[in-house]
Amino acid sequence: MNIIEFLKVPIFQRALIASILAGGTMSLLGIVIVVFNMTTIRFALMHFGLLGGAIGLALGANPLTVAIAAIALASLLFGPLSDRLKLDTGLIGAFFMTGSIAIAFLLFYKAGVPALDVFSLFTGSILTLTSNDLLFICVLALIIVLFYVIFYKEIQLIFYDSDQAEWLGVPTKKIRNALLFLTGLSIGVAMKIVGALLIDALILLSAMSAMRLAKNFKQLILLTSLFGILTTTGGLLFSMVFDFPSGATITLTGVLILLISLLTQK
Amino acid sequence: MFNENAIELNNAFVGYGDVTILKNLDFKVKIGEFVSILGENGAGKTTLFKSILLILPLTKGTIRVFDKEVAWGRDNTWLRSQIGYVPQNHNKGNFPISVFDATLLGRWGSSFSYFKRPSLRDKEITREILRVVNLEDMMHHDCKALSGGQTQRLNIARALVRKPRILLLDEPTTHLDVDSQRKLDATISNIRNQYELSVIMISHDKAHAISLSDRIVYLRNGKIYNDIGVPL
Repeated sequence: MNIIEFLKVPIFQRALIASILAGGTMSLLGIVIVVFNMTTIRFALMHFGLLGGAIGLALGANPLTVAIAAIALASLLFGPLSDRLKLDTGLIGAFFMTGSIAIAFLLFYKAGVPALDVFSLFTGSILTLTSNDLLFICVLALIIVLFYVIFYKEIQLIFYDSDQAEWLGVPTKKIRNALLFLTGLSIGVAMKIVGALLIDALILLSAMSAMRLAKNFKQLILLTSLFGILTTTGGLLFSMVFDFPSGATITLTGVLILLISLLTQK
Repeated sequence: MFNENAIELNNAFVGYGDVTILKNLDFKVKIGEFVSILGENGAGKTTLFKSILLILPLTKGTIRVFDKEVAWGRDNTWLRSQIGYVPQNHNKGNFPISVFDATLLGRWGSSFSYFKRPSLRDKEITREILRVVNLEDMMHHDCKALSGGQTQRLNIARALVRKPRILLLDEPTTHLDVDSQRKLDATISNIRNQYELSVIMISHDKAHAISLSDRIVYLRNGKIYNDIGVPL
């Protein structure tokens, strides 16, 4: 089949729409991870997703729905917890990361979850998206775009100098926690699209590439979004044409863009 | 009666938990005066700034700014319009932002905020301030591309863009080479005169403090140990 024929099939149509929306918007949350240096937190959230997936599989529910719920819950707790307990988020992240993955493995073992089901949590597939998944992605994409548009100045100020932002009266913690929550939801979606082990491809790589090239916030947003769309859509089309697994191909496209940005750095 | 003080702390105590940092401090800065604060680490210099900025509450005593009593926990919108604060020079990380935007955003909460975009006037003031601190040519550059001295002048611009009447400088010239320090001093003197600012500067360098200030206050263990006028 060529690309035009592929695009007549509903699952491919859904995959293409999802890849444009997710790639263009969820990548923007990678900026949050890079700027706030939250790599440990995103790692912990990803493991929470695995724990949620494990619970889902063990209970016979949809593992990804439970995964998204688990990540959303965890991301709601991370910011406020770190403020209240005066612990750095990295430490909390590491604590939850090891704990959640250990429980997940216990659950896999005790519930006798088939290895292939466990494997699918790790690899994901954009081609298994349902209409409900697509609706969820649409709503999430819209919320992310609106959030960045409405709080454009405030986000910029918090990213640049959160101390000054706080002193000027910007609700720094609230905005940061809201961004963290959206990041959590996006990591859940990324689990579905590229799998738990490759979420960085969707969330982080584009922001890292754009960070190297952008000279101001507007450029950063536009480049991140553009790289995100190129990563997911390019990866998806490649995988269809060459019959490669979609998650891995999307990830490799993101890696390739990062490599090019490293070589052409300003 | 006309009160000639820009800032006035009376009988001020400040502490964290059981530790009292500032003890029974009486500290005044006259309108238009340039006061440098010297003292060893832990003497309470930064704590004094944090108290004036209402980042830390007083456990006892009062603070008046232009004869108006202010206190931690109250709405400090007014205070933010009166005081510009330049924290110690530190690396702002890897976030790309233009010099112009970084400066303009210093006006957040004064004339624009959530749904109100910066006006032409905001942008005019930003350009004016960048001209005064000699960064006009770098306006569209990424802040990461600035040298140490330029970054410090940017930090001053970001405080000054709110058009405050008081400027707090926390060791502005630390980590700068001699040439950058000289340029920064010229900028500080220049803005002080041009905007008729009252300035409080924390310093580690006595000679540097003398060259800029009208008065030098030595803090030791949270108390004023010495208060000396600098002859003209």
